[in-house]
Amino acid sequence: MAVKDKLKTDLFPTIWCPGCGIGLIMQQLASVMDDLGLDKNNTVLVTGIGCTGRMGAYMNFESIYTLHGRTLPVAEAIKLVRPELNVIVVSGDGDTASIGGNHLLHSIRRNANVTVVCNNNEIYGLTGGQTGPTTPQGTSTISSPKGATYAPINLQGLVNTNPNAYYAKTTVYHQGPMRKAIKEAIEWPGFAFVDVASQCIENNGRRIGFASANDMLQNYRTEYKSAPPGSTRLESHQLGIVKGQPLPVGGGSGDGSGNGSGN
Amino acid sequence: MTKRLVQGNEAVMLGAVKAGASFFAGYPISPSSEILAQASVYAASHPEFRFIQEEDEIASANAILGGSLAGAKSFTATSGPGFSLMQEAIGYGHKVGIPCVIVNVMRVGPATGMPTMPGQGDLNQARYGSTGDYTSIVFYPSTVAECYEYTIQAFNAAEESRSPVILMSDAFLGHLNEVADLDTIHVPIVPRTLEPLASGGIRLFSGVATYPDGEPATADADEFIRQYYESRDHRLEVAERYAFHEYGWNKDSDTLVIAFGITRRIAQPLAAHFALFRPIRIWPTLDKELTEIAARYKKIIVIEGSDGQYANVVERMLLRRVERVPLLGGRMSLEAIREGLDAIGMLPAELAPSGSESPARVG
Repeated sequence: MAVKDKLKTDLFPTIWCPGCGIGLIMQQLASVMDDLGLDKNNTVLVTGIGCTGRMGAYMNFESIYTLHGRTLPVAEAIKLVRPELNVIVVSGDGDTASIGGNHLLHSIRRNANVTVVCNNNEIYGLTGGQTGPTTPQGTSTISSPKGATYAPINLQGLVNTNPNAYYAKTTVYHQGPMRKAIKEAIEWPGFAFVDVASQCIENNGRRIGFASANDMLQNYRTEYKSAPPGSTRLESHQLGIVKGQPLPVGGGSGDGSGNGSGN
Repeated sequence: MTKRLVQGNEAVMLGAVKAGASFFAGYPISPSSEILAQASVYAASHPEFRFIQEEDEIASANAILGGSLAGAKSFTATSGPGFSLMQEAIGYGHKVGIPCVIVNVMRVGPATGMPTMPGQGDLNQARYGSTGDYTSIVFYPSTVAECYEYTIQAFNAAEESRSPVILMSDAFLGHLNEVADLDTIHVPIVPRTLEPLASGGIRLFSGVATYPDGEPATADADEFIRQYYESRDHRLEVAERYAFHEYGWNKDSDTLVIAFGITRRIAQPLAAHFALFRPIRIWPTLDKELTEIAARYKKIIVIEGSDGQYANVVERMLLRRVERVPLLGGRMSLEAIREGLDAIGMLPAELAPSGSESPARVG
């Protein structure tokens, strides 16, 4: 098999804007899936509403393009009913952390054995560039002309409230670390979240002063620094992985305890 | 099993298991919570039956969509505002074509309402609660034995129609204990109709209008209309095979009472005076059956636990006025029915309370 066999290249070019970062995530995800032997018979994709949600339509897997914010209940149920499947959620920051926030909180708590790859562009891109839950405070958007009022959600802190979860922060510029993170997350026995900073030039970047998608990528290169080894807490613009103690596969699933997100 | 006391909610759980259900997701809400509790107990001793208590009803409804796609006959149970929270997912199930069963044990709404007095005010929501046009199949039993029987039928209809089917109940029926021998009820089980996930295909299940190849069809009216009529016609055709209803009581009366669910039980003392039509399949409405029967009667009275939700449907269907006895605020009692009939001048003399025994106004 090859990477391109994971992708429906006959549907290319994609619907995404020129310069969008989502394709960089899809390419790397497809490559990792190929390395790990993930195919249409052992893996399903669950995607949410937003630009990122289209990814399922471009990959040679069964995929569920859920309602806005509902990826995790759907994904967790699939894993519970079919524990042998790899269940990978691909969605944006708004879908995952805002409208899907309650599900995120509880899937983390239950240590749902699913992998979340989050395209974090710090904006609601599909609807034209409104403030999202990850938008940095002070950022001018079409729904915050004087700058976003509130501080963004701390996804790392949230995920790592579960001592058995896996969290990685990376960017689409840092392809090596992103690749490593996606691979480790898929292999992680429990809840795993890969938070990928990714540029949206059309509905965010230009408004905040970037001339091109490449300028945004170069900004990731210069602004993001690796966290010190062993960090248990990541600062803003730090790259790194914070992982807890992996739980052995097989615990807490379908036993009627109500703790059924399962392995 | 022999004859024993069975509770309405318990009969729903037993019917689901009989129908082959192997996944339940839910969130506690009275008066449906026994179903959640019994599903958890069943799962504890049957590992093939998967159970999850969710963070809310939104998650519950979406989880049964995922569980069904994964290959399990799936269901949830809720009431009142929980049913409201599930509407978005119900619409998704209709759009995508996912078999599953939602049990709604009705209480008095809107909002938190009157927990947990019985009501029948969710009929319109069961039909029209989600956005857009879609075709709901909804059943509403009247007895504990029927809770079992029509839960199985709901799973069957869900498989055949590939849509979320709703089983209505109410606070009285759900908590009603009556003697039943469920082993004497035989309903053939419809096997799964949807190929489970990861069976070799690369299907895209999408709530967004798409072409068969997965490309967006969000601006193509012709494609939308083609897909809409295809699913509507299929579901109406399936519903025809589930045209459950009851016609009885005093058929020689000149007046037809329409009552369903627990209301039909409460109205039983009217049997000598009126004919009865009881829809069990609430949606789609039983137009052919009711039109034919109604033509034989001079007057029609709809007795229901809402302010005319079903009466409005009947008037529109038959293009004639009907009398209404709304049982509101949880006052679903024979006394309330008597008062309602008296108010419209249709209380049979034999049923009128004698002076000093006027009915107490109790819920």
